[in-house]
Amino acid sequence: MIEVEGLTKVYGGSHGARALDGVTFTVPEKSIFGFLGPNGAGKTTTIRILATVLQPTEGTIRIDGHDLGEDPLAVKENLGLMPDEVLFYPTLTGLQQLLYYASFYGIRRADARKRGKELLEQFGLGDEMAKKVKAYSHGMKKRLALAQCLLHDPHVLIMDEPANGLDPGGMRYFRDLIRWLNGQGKTIFLSSHMLYEVEQLCERVGIIDHGHIVAVDTIADLSARLTAGAPTVLRVSAAGVTDDGIRAVAAIPGVTNVERTPLGVDVTAKAGSDVSGEVSRALVMAGAALRELKAEQRSLEDLFLALTKGGGA
Amino acid sequence: MRAPEFFRGMRQVAVQELLVNLKSLRLIIMALVSALVIVGGAYGFSGLGSGGGFPGGLPPVVVWPHAAYNATGSHVAVVWVSDPFGGPQAGRTVDLEALGPNGTVPLAKIATDGNGFVRHDVGGTDVIAATVTVGSFQTGTTISFPPQPQNFTYDIIQGDLDRDGSDDEMAIHVVNVSGDVVPAQIAVNGTSVGSTDAHGYLQFDLPRGDSIVNVTVAGETQTFPATVRGGSGGPTFASGPDTVLIIIAALSGFIVSLFGVVLSFDAVSKERVQGTMDLLLSRPASRSGILLGKFLGAFAAVALPVTLVNLAGIGVIAAVSGKSPTGSFAAAFLGLSLLLIATYVLLQLSLSTIAKTSGTAILFGVLAWLLFNLLYPIITFVIGAALFANDPAGYFHFSLVSGLGSPTQVYFLLIGLAAPQSLAGSGGTAVDPILPEAAAVAWIVLLLLLALWTFHKRGPE
Repeated sequence: MIEVEGLTKVYGGSHGARALDGVTFTVPEKSIFGFLGPNGAGKTTTIRILATVLQPTEGTIRIDGHDLGEDPLAVKENLGLMPDEVLFYPTLTGLQQLLYYASFYGIRRADARKRGKELLEQFGLGDEMAKKVKAYSHGMKKRLALAQCLLHDPHVLIMDEPANGLDPGGMRYFRDLIRWLNGQGKTIFLSSHMLYEVEQLCERVGIIDHGHIVAVDTIADLSARLTAGAPTVLRVSAAGVTDDGIRAVAAIPGVTNVERTPLGVDVTAKAGSDVSGEVSRALVMAGAALRELKAEQRSLEDLFLALTKGGGA
Repeated sequence: MRAPEFFRGMRQVAVQELLVNLKSLRLIIMALVSALVIVGGAYGFSGLGSGGGFPGGLPPVVVWPHAAYNATGSHVAVVWVSDPFGGPQAGRTVDLEALGPNGTVPLAKIATDGNGFVRHDVGGTDVIAATVTVGSFQTGTTISFPPQPQNFTYDIIQGDLDRDGSDDEMAIHVVNVSGDVVPAQIAVNGTSVGSTDAHGYLQFDLPRGDSIVNVTVAGETQTFPATVRGGSGGPTFASGPDTVLIIIAALSGFIVSLFGVVLSFDAVSKERVQGTMDLLLSRPASRSGILLGKFLGAFAAVALPVTLVNLAGIGVIAAVSGKSPTGSFAAAFLGLSLLLIATYVLLQLSLSTIAKTSGTAILFGVLAWLLFNLLYPIITFVIGAALFANDPAGYFHFSLVSGLGSPTQVYFLLIGLAAPQSLAGSGGTAVDPILPEAAAVAWIVLLLLLALWTFHKRGPE
């Protein structure tokens, strides 16, 4: 579990740039938490503070019950970091990198070697483990980054853009892997530009903008909150929609607008009104062949754009 | 048991830093440059580098003549050939000639045995000339057979064997009447200075002025006077292994500090440039542990080759001069080199933490080295010369105190203090030793604290 409260980071002295301002959120244990925000919103600063790389100016962070300010070493013991930029010591081999990092956790060298080899095999780097990292491709480095992140079997994983720069196959591989890790009981803090990826993986998301958290909730609740008070839009896919049919739909109480589309019609009704039954009946009665009728869902992208005032993730 | 929090991660980082550095090209280059300067300098300044001559007045061989007798009373010419420090010279050809009223008569050319001896029965000949030739060098002596044989005979040389400019060393060689080695006790002014070795040789120091030397074999004592004249006997800054070591230590001060800079200028910044800093800082290691590990790793990577090169330099001085530098001075040279390395590595760690890129780190490193090794001495020289134009004593003290502001200058002062007293004129022994010693400690402590502070504040940024 990750509990962040009032996190503030000011660079360059008390009058410097305020990268984070009172950031507060909670990541429940064994969940996947999506962390979104436009460029420069404070995502990477938050991640570097969570990973104990940077020290906050103010605020408290508790990870698995350990206060990061008071007992950073206990936090580090159970934390795996996968940074956005995956760079390693160029003259070391993949396995040597893992052995070096394992030495910090008091893992015996023989055990570290066994564990390192297992992870490299698991992530498809079995044949590359003796090669120097400077010969690795971007995808291979991503996999090595994941291996170093899991080396000490941490409870909490902090992942910054894990699928960034990967081909569709690689993205899918990482998505499946993150689900699998979550299934193993890991708490995962996932920062990503890829809203589709976050939508697929995360129950809860936090959205940050200009150093402030603008929303923390489940995607469904966020969607409901944003759509409350907004008109309902029905997207109707139908053939043979006649002008009579359109007039009949427009006459239904609660309907405020009907618009012909290439697929059929879009029907806008007052907020809270459910007119789908009447709309389908009216169209069929007017001789249309109805194929599909569904209420418009707001995507995570819509939510993101609405909450960050159009800032690009 | 886990290391205490402050040192957590130090060992791991130190080992990694050391291994990476030991495999680096820059370490190999700097080790070669150091070897070239220090070992080459030791060879050249010790004398033999000039092309096979024997400068400084020490001969390659010394011939020790003795008049001995065999059981029948026949004269036996005994010649022992050694280097000036008592090392037997086997296989040297000794040319024996009889000297008489009719001129010289060749007798024999005989090679010395494994112990450096030639023993040749010359019958009733009273005076023998013995000559040994080594290349273009030739040395000879005569052996006179007195009517009354002595139970033992000795031969001495006195001179500047340690090449410190003073003729205050004496070497003696003793054999008995049969020409065999016997143990002899030697005393100077009643104080024992040792016994002859298995070849009959002993080297010892004489005090300044007149002395009486006693040679005792089997309870029988022979006595002769000896004198060391004048002051120090010559220019102090001239030759000798300790003097060569001072020159080497001065050269080493520049090279070793540069070595420290070259190897550690990017110790921190390269983690940032490579992008490995965040992964390192997220490990269960304290920042102090990481910084101390960086220090120890870089320090060891410089200290190992430098110490080997320094030892080789001392070895070359000993081999070429034929005499080792004073042990305590050599040890101080080795230790002070390590102190200098530590100072520059710590300085570089702070600069490396502040530098954002490798280019800036290199610039900082070179500037710091130039500042302490070139600019600072020049600036203090100019200021001193202006302030104390007509006050040499004042200038001397000013330069001693201002020198404390540069780690390299402190090193030079400490080298001067560690040099043997006979070289006092060449070093800074007039200064209170507590000042440079305290300055050396202060530099280390201040730079360590600065490095810890900057890394704590600026490490990941």
